Amino acid sequence: MKKLDRLGWAAGIGVRAFGVHAGVRVNAAGMLPRISGLMPPGWKNSGRATVQRLYSLVVAGDSQRAGLRRMHILYADSERIARDTELDQVLATLETDLHRYVAESSPDMTFLHAGVVGWQGRAILLPGRSLSGKTTLVQEMLRLGATYYSDEFAVVDDSGNVHPFPRPLGIREDATYAQTKYSAEQLGATSGLKPLPVGAVVMCKYRAGARWKPTPLSHGRGALELMANSIAVRNRPQHTLRRIHKLVSSAVFVKGTRGEASETAASILDLLNSAVRQEKA
Amino acid sequence: MKEGEYPRARLDCLTREFGDELLVYDQQRNVGHCLNPTAAAAWKLCDGKKDTSELANILTQQFSAPVDEPVVLLALEELSKARLLIEVEKPVRRTSRREAIRAIGIAGAIALPLVTSLVAPTPARAASCLPKLSTCATNAQCCSGNCNASSHKCH
Repeated sequence: MKKLDRLGWAAGIGVRAFGVHAGVRVNAAGMLPRISGLMPPGWKNSGRATVQRLYSLVVAGDSQRAGLRRMHILYADSERIARDTELDQVLATLETDLHRYVAESSPDMTFLHAGVVGWQGRAILLPGRSLSGKTTLVQEMLRLGATYYSDEFAVVDDSGNVHPFPRPLGIREDATYAQTKYSAEQLGATSGLKPLPVGAVVMCKYRAGARWKPTPLSHGRGALELMANSIAVRNRPQHTLRRIHKLVSSAVFVKGTRGEASETAASILDLLNSAVRQEKA
Repeated sequence: MKEGEYPRARLDCLTREFGDELLVYDQQRNVGHCLNPTAAAAWKLCDGKKDTSELANILTQQFSAPVDEPVVLLALEELSKARLLIEVEKPVRRTSRREAIRAIGIAGAIALPLVTSLVAPTPARAASCLPKLSTCATNAQCCSGNCNASSHKCH
């Protein structure tokens, strides 16, 4: 770390997000606006001199020497986490690692790996791992009028309410799995601002041609599924279980295999409509 | 660790009640378990002092429905498989699910004991990242942080 400290740093930024303090320093001051765009939603400038995690980005210079490959390098504290000729690749790693670190370390919130939309004043959670089709389903629900909360994390507070984490949706458009980023507004939707109680939690896997016939899950089974999608359960099981317990009280849980997103999205929104109607009755 | 003769529940797990169900988190193995009402009631009674017939009697009172020994044995087997019991010197007699169903009867008033278990993920596994050999475009997409530039697969 001392060797890194001795390098010439041109600029830096301290950020606070969900109670986590992190910093990024860079050898090219012109990079700061791009780096600011990679911060977690809701971040604020932090005036703290010490941070929990410090990223150091070394942007390669304009050397014209033949045969010399210019490498951009990213360190998280003293560990090198990216080294590439493509700056975009290195910045993508910075964004992923920082968001993951915040999700893992936040003392204020519990992060669940889930897509989230708002509907009828309730949050719909779509927990699932990569490639389970969360973003596709979120995108389809936005098309049907839902409010965007996140395509990656459900951020749960002490009361069990879900806060927005409206990072741009990463849409995989072809077989290379390269993601293109779109804001909710670019997709014609709006992003949620207020925390919402959870109305429904939908566990689904995609299978081409499958018909969406979900089965209800009990609160205990639903809570177990949420635990299995929780980022920090191993580090803070007590906190995680407490917040999941709060979250579960207002929610209905279903699980199933889905086919096309359009059919499933409409059905999920209907499910919440019925739950809200029943509650009012 | 072998102790006593009768089944005893581990006390080093975190628990949360969800109605009659119980969520148990095993911090040693990083596994979560959901115990259905029958399994949860049986687990709570395992204090190392009661044999299976005593457990069956107490559960019968609790559920206001007959709970026979095969049902208790099945509950203990489920709990034991999930490693939620301290291993006892005298192993629990095995029973089959079929035997337990027969004991409850087709229109049984209680559910068969059931423990559902899921492993708690590491932070990296829980977040969006692609597993080994998945097709990728950038290093950031792979859990390993390494997307091979020529094969476009996570290494």
